[in-house]
Order: sequence, then structure tokens, then C-alpha cells
Amino acid sequence: MLRFIATRLVQLVVICFLISVFAFLLVHLLPGDPTLAILGPNDTPAARAVLLHQLGLNKGLLSQYGTWIINILHGNLGASFLTKQTVSNALGVAVPIDLELVIVSQVLALLVAIPMALVAALRPNRIFDRVATTSTFAMLSLPTFVAGPLLVLVFAVTLKWVPATGFNRLSQGFGPNLKSVILPSVALAIGSITVYYRLLRADLIATLQEDFVTMARSKGLSTRYILMRHVMRPSSFSLLAGAGISIGTLFTGAFVVEVLFQLPGIGFQLVNAIYGRDYLVVQGMALVAAVAFVVVNFGVDFLLTVLDPRVRRA
Amino acid sequence: MADSADRYDRRAFLARGATTAAALGLAGVGLPTLLSSCSSTTNNKATPRLSAPGIGTGKPKRGGTITVGLNSEIDGFLPSTNHFDNSGLTYANSVYDTLTMIAADGSAKPYLATSVTPNPDLTVWTITLRPGVTFHDGSPLNADVVLANIQSLQASALTGQALKGVVSTMVKVSDMSVAITCSEPIVAFPHYLATQVGYVVGMAQLESQSSTKPIGTGPFSLVEWVPNDHMTVQRNPHYWRAGLPYLDGVTYRPIAEDQSRENSLKSGTIDLMVTRDPNAIRDLQHDSGYQVVRNPSVGQNDMDFVILNTSVDPTNDLVVRQALAHAIDVDQLVKLFGAGIAKPNLSLFAPGSPYRTADNGYPKYDLAKAKALVAQAAPNHGGSIKISLATITDPRLLNEIQAIASMWELAGITTTISEVEQVTFIDNLVTGHFQAYTDEMFAATDPDLNYVWMSPTTANPPIALNFSRNKDDALEAALQQGRTSSDPAVRIKAYQEVDKRLSADLPYLWASQATWSLMGSNSVENFNNLTLPDGSAALGFASGTFDPTPAWRKD
Repeated sequence: MLRFIATRLVQLVVICFLISVFAFLLVHLLPGDPTLAILGPNDTPAARAVLLHQLGLNKGLLSQYGTWIINILHGNLGASFLTKQTVSNALGVAVPIDLELVIVSQVLALLVAIPMALVAALRPNRIFDRVATTSTFAMLSLPTFVAGPLLVLVFAVTLKWVPATGFNRLSQGFGPNLKSVILPSVALAIGSITVYYRLLRADLIATLQEDFVTMARSKGLSTRYILMRHVMRPSSFSLLAGAGISIGTLFTGAFVVEVLFQLPGIGFQLVNAIYGRDYLVVQGMALVAAVAFVVVNFGVDFLLTVLDPRVRRA
Repeated sequence: MADSADRYDRRAFLARGATTAAALGLAGVGLPTLLSSCSSTTNNKATPRLSAPGIGTGKPKRGGTITVGLNSEIDGFLPSTNHFDNSGLTYANSVYDTLTMIAADGSAKPYLATSVTPNPDLTVWTITLRPGVTFHDGSPLNADVVLANIQSLQASALTGQALKGVVSTMVKVSDMSVAITCSEPIVAFPHYLATQVGYVVGMAQLESQSSTKPIGTGPFSLVEWVPNDHMTVQRNPHYWRAGLPYLDGVTYRPIAEDQSRENSLKSGTIDLMVTRDPNAIRDLQHDSGYQVVRNPSVGQNDMDFVILNTSVDPTNDLVVRQALAHAIDVDQLVKLFGAGIAKPNLSLFAPGSPYRTADNGYPKYDLAKAKALVAQAAPNHGGSIKISLATITDPRLLNEIQAIASMWELAGITTTISEVEQVTFIDNLVTGHFQAYTDEMFAATDPDLNYVWMSPTTANPPIALNFSRNKDDALEAALQQGRTSSDPAVRIKAYQEVDKRLSADLPYLWASQATWSLMGSNSVENFNNLTLPDGSAALGFASGTFDPTPAWRKD
């Protein structure tokens, strides 16, 4: 187990290093003079001097990378050339939003998907299973950019229960905070529900046909006990792997929902920075987003290892 | 040609920053109006207003806060370096004051100044400042601060070009007055002081060159700015206008997506919103639950148009430009995308403007003529006319250029369309790397504020603010006449000539006036009842910019 974790940690470090190299090279991959590309029409000698100093562009590439990575390890991810806001500050705004979106949406998705899958798997091809499967198919075909406005139309514009846009921080109160994240979280959860339901249902059906389940039933154990004690764990590996990928993706890829609901999460800020050619922000945000994705999936791998010894032996 | 909410960046490069800025209105075009308006007056009768959306009817209520949805975000608050689009000017109106302000009749009146007076030949303007005004940090408004502001604006790559010719030298006359010498007579000088270059920034901010911590004399002071999320301001308890503002604070939220902003208003998430979306106006203008303020009818509005680069092939050929103009069915275009709100306008000037001529000679839609011109020009361009038409990334604008492209295709012009991200769009405009772009600009309180965008003197590489690079000596002569003449009749004739020259040169293919609107829920009162210090009416909302000073909450 320890060896497995050590191996994965080494892999994690290598991957993070490669990510940092790619993120660093972003500025250098720009066509032509990177300072001109960044500054555009604001390319004055003074601005150029500041940028050269900030990026250390007059030094060698290795030296630049060394300075950059040391700054990052000290929490200095650079600053926007447009707004002067530091990337750390921008992340301070974005990360809580994405964390909350991910947590609330995934809790919602699991709360809906798991019971549905359990009931459907117990009686496959019966009415509930068919309705649930058809419904999730429909949900799968409902893209976020359609679901989001529909939710806003009903719950914000018509019923006025929740705000249509914006994020209220937890410091503004739990109620306002929850109200501001519930609609975007539901919009994000819709896609996840479908995936989780289908993964879990398929695994549950397969597990329920295993000999040990028949044995448990023949012992007179209750269905509930069998499900919880013997079936859920071996049936949850695909769900867990799917959730890992989904969470990692959502952390940075909720751009559509963030735009619809005007939530300045990482995806929203990253795309804004790309449009604004704010490459230092892009560089910092991309680095953090990629590392976050890798770390989340490392965590999921670790969890899978704990739950399924076969993974360790593989 | 409707605009999108997120055109801020395209407009950003001084789009109205240094020159066009704060509002509309050109009714007071003549020198007498300008001069009278800029003397210190305290006995003017308040201009009577008809009851209208955004005009309070009861006794003002103090306290409370409002949230305002804006169509864009800005890059900072320093007038000399940051790009003030309509949202930037709205932010600025909250924390800064300008030296002059535009009155409801379109004339420029003293504001932070008590008077702005010229010498006889209009080459030296003396600005006398209002006494007893302090900045948010407690420092006083005086001549030193104003001089430092103008020097900073002159030195800036952003605003310096716009001030060339307008400001030559400056001198401190007394502790509370400065004299600005222009390199030529500038009739509209007071109007410039109501734009981005007229905001007065505190000395501490000038020294630090901070673009994130504004120090002004304005009705509100900054509490917090989180880019792309919100800007919150609180009431300035020491504001020099006694009793104002009424609100304790304002939160601005940039909501780039039109529909999201409209939904936010409808759901009560925000109290006011600024929009250019004609669909939003159509949706809410007859709904008694909302107050819809449209652009004022005075002055020169933003125009939606296609800008042609006259320095690259084939749009450097006048015959090609004529073909392109004749091929666009503007009525159809506006019908398709104007939601019944936008109106076709084939002139730089709006209907009713004194500068508008009965016939400016702009080419009318004539497909047969377009085809004939294409046939005439094609041999000079390799046998066919190929145009690249682009817009910023926006679904609605993409639809519009698809429609234009199909019209051009009908005339035999091979058209490729594309979307360009906003910053690249601006870069391409100023560096000349484009053939045909959709664009919108030219809102101005005086037509001279558009000089910098049209003059051949600003059409030279590497960075040209005359994006079309149109070089017409007759146009320059007319612009100069309008700029320097104090005779209203001469100015009218000059700008009519400008309009005719633009119709002849065709650097811009006109479509319609922009459809700006300020919409509010009924919980907010008086948000469009801006007044001048003497109580007379100021222009208020115009071209996407407003000032929250007079607003109060009803509930």
C-alpha cells in the first residue's frame, strides 16, 4: 500500500512538474515578441520595462523558469496586466466558488443518483427502472446552456426564490450563499446524475448476480442489508472513478454555468483572461487548474485503492 | 446592427474614453451657448421635466443600497491609463467628478469648475475651481491637482493622442485656477472636460498611479472592487453637493450576457441595468413593473456600422466601397436584428440634428448598381472582389455579419466572415490589420469630440486612431472648420460637409443608431434625474453611462 502511494506521489510530482513547464512556456509560445503580444496597443517603453522585469524575459530560459517556479512556491503567481489584480487574489475569489459548486452539485447528483440506481437495479426492466433510464437519457440530452436558463426562468424570474446571477459568499450568510449556488449546482448536477445513475445501476445489476449475493440471500439476509453490506462497495468503483473525473473537470470546466450565472470561478476567469490576452493570469490559472485536476484524480485513485485491493495489485 | 453586452473591450481603446465619453447632446453647439453655459451661474431656473421613467415623484428617501447590472467590466480606474467604456464612465461618475458636466440641453456647464472661460480667440481657456471641495482622502481640490491631472493625461499613450491639439501648454494662474493653452482655437473645449479627460483624480492616486484604488471627489468612495464580479461604493459623507447622494451605497455587477442581465433584473437580483440589447427594450418598455429610460433624443448617438480599411486592397478602392454600400439593404438588416426598436440611419448624425443634411449623398440600397460596380472594379483586383468581414465573438453579431455577407454575395462579392476575440479586434483596428469590421462608436456631446477618430492626422501607422485610415483633405478642412469656428452657422455647415465627405469616401457603412437603455425596477426612484449644482437638469443617462447621485430607494 505504502509503495503504491509512494509510486503515485512520484508520478504526481512528475506530472505537476511537466504541467508547470507547459504553463511557463505559454508566454514563450506566443508568436513574435511576447511583450508586444501581451501589451498590444499599450506597448509603451515604461510598460515594456515593467513587463520585462516582471517576467524576467531578459534572462535565460532556465533562469526564468527557476525564478517563476520559486515565486509560485512562495505563493506569487503573478498579477494581471489588465486589472493589476494578483492571480492569488483572483484565485481567492474563484476557488471558493468552484469548490462550493462542485461540492453542492456532486452531493446533489449522488443523493439523486444512488437511490435511483439502487431501486432500479433491484428490479431491472420494471417500471421504475424504465422511467428512470428514460428520464436520465433525457437529462443527458439537456445541455447545461439549456437547463441553466430554464431553471433561471422558473425559479428566479417567475418564482423569485433565488437570484438569477451572482455569488454570495458564506460570510454574507448561509441562506444567501446557498440561494446563490443552488441553481448553478442543479444545472451542473443534471449531467452528473445521469452518468452516476447509469454507472452505478450497471455495476449493481452485475454484482447482484454474483454468487455471494445468492449465498447471502439464501442465508435469509434482508435485501437492504445485502445491498449496503455486500453490494454497494464492489459496485461503486466505476462510480468513484467517474466522480473523480467529473469533479476534476467541473473544477475548471464549469465555464458555461459560470457565464450564465455570472459566477467568477476559475473557468470564467480563465476564459476572460484568454479573451483579454492577460497571459500572466492564463499562465497562473492554468497551472492551478491543471494541478487541481491531477490532485483530485490522485485522491480518487487513492480511494479506489483503499476500496478495491485489486487496484493495488494491478 | 445591435451590439452585444461584451463589446467593452472592443470599445475599450479610447472608444469613448478620452474624447467621446460622458454623454450626448450637441444642441448648444454655438460659441454663445458654450460660453454662457460655462460661466459661473447660480440663478438659472431648473429646467422643467415631464414625468418620465427614472424621474422621482415623491420626497427623496435617504439610505439603502442598490445593485446595478452593467454590460461590461473595465480594467481599472485611472483615467490616464485605463479604458473607460460606458461601464467605466459609470464607475468613474460614482467616485470622481468632472470639471464640467453636460446639461440636459447638450451644453457643457461648470461642475468641479465654477467657470471655464476662453480668451477672445479661443486658444486659452481659464478653469476656475470650486472652493471647499475635498477628495476622499481629505486633500483639497486645487490648481496643482488639476495641472498634475492634465500633465498625466498628456503623458499617457492612451489619452495623449486625443489631447494633441487640444492642450498645448498649461499654467497655474492662482491656487484655484489654471489656464490651458490650445494649439488652435478649440470651440468645444468645455465639452472635453466632461469626458474621461475631465475627471479629476486625487494627488495621492496620481503619485501612486494606482488603477485599483480611486481617490476622487465623487459622491461615493470605493469599498471593494473584485474584477469580473463586483464594484461596491459607499456614500461620501463629505460630498461637496449638500444632501447628495441619497443612497448609502451602490454595487455594480458586470453581467456580460444580455439575457442573464435581463433575468437578473426580472428576478430582483439587481435593481437597475444598462443594455444595448433591443430585445430587452422590446420586452420591458411597456411593462409597468419597470422603468425604461432610452437614450436622449439630443445629440450624437453611438452608430452601428461596418468600418472599412481604406489602406488595404480591395477596400482601398472607392468603387469597391461604393459597391459594398449599395449592396447592403439596411432596412432589411435593421428589421431582422433591431427587434422593432433600432431604426436605420444612413448618416453620422441622428434625425433632428442640425448637422444632418436633407441628403448627404450616402449610397442607397441598389443591388443592380452594386453588381455593376463590382463588375467595374473586379479587373483591378484580380478578376473578383474578395472581402473578409469580421466581428467580435458574439452570436448575435455573427448573425448580423452572416446577413451582410449574404447581401454582398448577391452582388457578386466573395465574402468570408469570422469572429475575432475582442483584444485582437482592437489591436487589428489600431494597427490596420483588417478589411471590414463591424463597429460602433461616435457618441459625443459635440461633434469635435470625434475629430480624433476621423482626422487624417491620426490615420498614420503604426497606431492609428482613425481606424479606417481615410485620408481626405476636404474632410480634414471641414473638421478643422467645425473645430475652430465660433459661428454656429459655420459649424453646422462644416459638419454637414463632414457627413457628406464620409458619404463620398465611405470609410463607414452606416446601419443604425445604437439602442442604449437604462432599465430599473420600480423600487428605485429618480435614477435619471441628474442635476447641476444650480439645480438645473443635467443630461443623465446617455450612451450606456449614468450617474447614481440622484437615485433613491422607494422601499
